[in-house]
Amino acid sequence: MRNYEIMFIAGPNTTDEELDKINTQIEGVVTAGGGQITKIEKMGKRRLAYEINRNREGHYVLFVISANGEIVKEAERRLRVMDAVIKYITVRTDEDERRFDKIKGFRQRRAARRGSGARSAAAEPLDQSVEDGM
Amino acid sequence: MAQQKQYYRRKKVCKFCVERIDTINYKDVKLLSQFVPERAKIMPRRISGVCSPHQRRLNEAIKMARNIALLPFTSE
Repeated sequence: MRNYEIMFIAGPNTTDEELDKINTQIEGVVTAGGGQITKIEKMGKRRLAYEINRNREGHYVLFVISANGEIVKEAERRLRVMDAVIKYITVRTDEDERRFDKIKGFRQRRAARRGSGARSAAAEPLDQSVEDGM
Repeated sequence: MAQQKQYYRRKKVCKFCVERIDTINYKDVKLLSQFVPERAKIMPRRISGVCSPHQRRLNEAIKMARNIALLPFTSE
């Protein structure tokens, strides 16, 4: 299983009920395939950066899911078919998350080493001044 | 010895390194738009001072954001 984010834009005239209907449909696709939904976030109506099919605004919805390629494929197909949806994007996030965890772990370990070291008091401000001077 | 320079140019620093911003996310329009000037082009490294690993990630993020209409491709 991999983590994905699916974001789609529905047209500005889409009502709340229609949005919910799309959401439950996508939810159904994901859960039916054995995936998990971490988060559904309605980001609300936003101005688009450029015109899409004569639309200047759109409702943004973000899905954070854990799924496999088949599920994503099916979800994308569904989104493509729906008239209300004017644009969608799927991003794989698990690789980035892993990288981020690695950096965080590295930083914590370094902080711990510094904390136990003798020159811990001197190291921190020195580091700061070097960065400020750059 | 060479003559001392007349002017002093402030050394540029990578915003992401200094502020310890680890993840450059395509949804973070506020952050990304700092690197997209008026003409909607991606700001070059020589102007923004971003280091190359971060510029690479920034590039990806801006392009993703453009795809989903969070950022413009061009300004009209």
